[in-house]
Amino acid sequence: MGVTYRGLRKYLVVLFFIAPTLLGVLVLSVFPILFNVYISFTNRNTYHYQQFQLTAENRAAYLEEHPHGAFVWDVICPVFPAVCCSPDTMGVYCIQRPFYQNYVRLFQDLFTVASLLSLGRLLLAILPLIGVAIASGQVHKRMVSPPATGWWWLVAAAASIGLWYLLKGQAALDQLFDTGSFFVVMFRTILYVVACIPFFFLFGLILALVLNNDWLRGKGIFRVLIIVPWAVPSYISALIWQFFFRSEHGTINQLLGAIGIQGPSWLQQPALAFFAVVLVNIWMSYPFFMVIILGALQSIPQEQYEAAEVDGANWWQKLTRITLPLLRPAVMPAIVLSSITTFQMFNTVWLITGGGPIRGAGMPGATEFVMIHAYKQVFQSRNDGLIGAFAVIVFIILFAATLYSMRLTRITKGAYE
Amino acid sequence: MKKEPKPLVKMLAYAFLVLAVLFSIYPVWFAFLASVRPGQRLYTLNLTGMFLPTEFTLENFRVLLFEKDFLLWARNSLFVASLTTIACVTLATSGAFAFSRFRFKGREAGLILFLAVQAFPGVLSLVPIALLLYRLGLFGSHWGLILAYSTGSLVFTTWNLKGYFDTIPIDLEEAAMIDGCGPVQSFIRIALPLARPALAVTALFGFMGGWNEYVMASVLLVGQADKYTLPIALAQLANDIQVPWGLYAAGALLVSIPVLVLFLWLQKYLESGLTLGGVKG
Repeated sequence: MGVTYRGLRKYLVVLFFIAPTLLGVLVLSVFPILFNVYISFTNRNTYHYQQFQLTAENRAAYLEEHPHGAFVWDVICPVFPAVCCSPDTMGVYCIQRPFYQNYVRLFQDLFTVASLLSLGRLLLAILPLIGVAIASGQVHKRMVSPPATGWWWLVAAAASIGLWYLLKGQAALDQLFDTGSFFVVMFRTILYVVACIPFFFLFGLILALVLNNDWLRGKGIFRVLIIVPWAVPSYISALIWQFFFRSEHGTINQLLGAIGIQGPSWLQQPALAFFAVVLVNIWMSYPFFMVIILGALQSIPQEQYEAAEVDGANWWQKLTRITLPLLRPAVMPAIVLSSITTFQMFNTVWLITGGGPIRGAGMPGATEFVMIHAYKQVFQSRNDGLIGAFAVIVFIILFAATLYSMRLTRITKGAYE
Repeated sequence: MKKEPKPLVKMLAYAFLVLAVLFSIYPVWFAFLASVRPGQRLYTLNLTGMFLPTEFTLENFRVLLFEKDFLLWARNSLFVASLTTIACVTLATSGAFAFSRFRFKGREAGLILFLAVQAFPGVLSLVPIALLLYRLGLFGSHWGLILAYSTGSLVFTTWNLKGYFDTIPIDLEEAAMIDGCGPVQSFIRIALPLARPALAVTALFGFMGGWNEYVMASVLLVGQADKYTLPIALAQLANDIQVPWGLYAAGALLVSIPVLVLFLWLQKYLESGLTLGGVKG
């Protein structure tokens, strides 16, 4: 369509379509983020919470301290008043000196020297394996007849095991887990995302494929009953599930008891508690994926399947060669964005496990994911500056991961590009 | 027409669906049982009581509907959610269409900006949004809430619709343009009807965003009992001492019904390949 319009006219058309959307996102999504970044450089907390007032008196005081500061005062301070006061001012929040002080403090809390060293040792130990993975990938991409790389892996594995013992890998691992390191929290959160998302997609896909068959009867009823979990307010369903998993009188254990099995205490054992929050998240999310995929399936032209059938394709070939590739552009956004929301999940997990179970004081619980960790360690300090800084760090990590996944999945590209 | 599959395949498909339905509705059925049980208990030690209503009373529903302001809350929620849906669908569709169909400078940057927005922990945007709405004079009003909800869902819905537009072959619109349609006309008359399944998904998503949201509503409507939406109103039913499970469960079920009705109505758009009709027509 770019064929028809060029130059100014094209831009006006684009603007017509995009301006309302962009305006909404800029005002109510981007502005809050920028505001948070601004706050993250200040000392806003329970003692310093008022906005600095730009009175004539304050101006005189400021100019006395900064003889050439008139420009800053007149242009920057009306927008960012916190720039123009000193952090010692009573009751008023101001930019920290140095301005990145919250970040330094947060980094010291989250990434202690000892935990960085441990992580470094672990990474060093698996370095040979990573090296071989990259090298063999490159070899397969560049060379026409790649050599067998199997024995590379053997050598790398041997080297890794050697390094593991040399660098005391087990001790490093213990150190990370025992000190409640943020890396462990991050690792568990990533594990949670990795455990949840494939099931969202898989369950949603299978159900959508089954429900998309013409011969199926009662489609409407099946569909509505399956999306019920999506319709129920999530804090109520989380409470119901919490009850299901209780060890005494919990529904699951009562049912197990009825057939003579002594049920485990689900929420007190790390692996089971982790399983529980994964299961609940799947329960809450797969209906949404089913609906998305069901919608996306409608865009696949029936002719493609007919042509494939003429060529003698079986259902597996039709699924992997037609359905999945053509679903990609429509489903990828849902996958990427629910990975982000799962990474940031707080409410549901908090209501079910409270981040526990913990092995001991000071150690993060088995389901203490990033936002729960933040809630326990940072948010309760009521230190807005520190909270803002934490949000910015989470943002940077997630955004980097998202950009990387975009390169892998090419989600900005269309299906027919 | 496709040939009918073997009976065994059919049976497996039905069995799978039945299992999925059981998995989906058992927790909700459990809530239903609690809602019709006398007293405010979630559990029963009676094994049959975990599957079938052994005692039956509509007391919880009666209290909720006639003694509490349930209908007022429902009206508030309906108002907020339906306007959110309209705003969300309109804004997302036009933005997604531009992202999918035009090639312009800043297109990729715009898409990435949209993703970036999502990567920021949403809860932490609450204070700045409240501040902004306060400045706009919309704090504590339904309009402010609608504004916040529709832009909140906008990122996902725009991306999702853009993805769907990408799967629709562009040839049809090009043909329309050659026949003299302008971009707005080809958008409304060709692209929109083809994108109906995705529009249905977007509408449902937008509605859910306004209907079931709790955290933002509790901050933006704080202290204004007559403006409460259902999720906050229900949460307020609990006091510090005990959770009124019967009322909670009854409320949860009543809250779910409009969503299911909406889905029943929308799901006809999730049927049958549309491009098929489009190309052949």
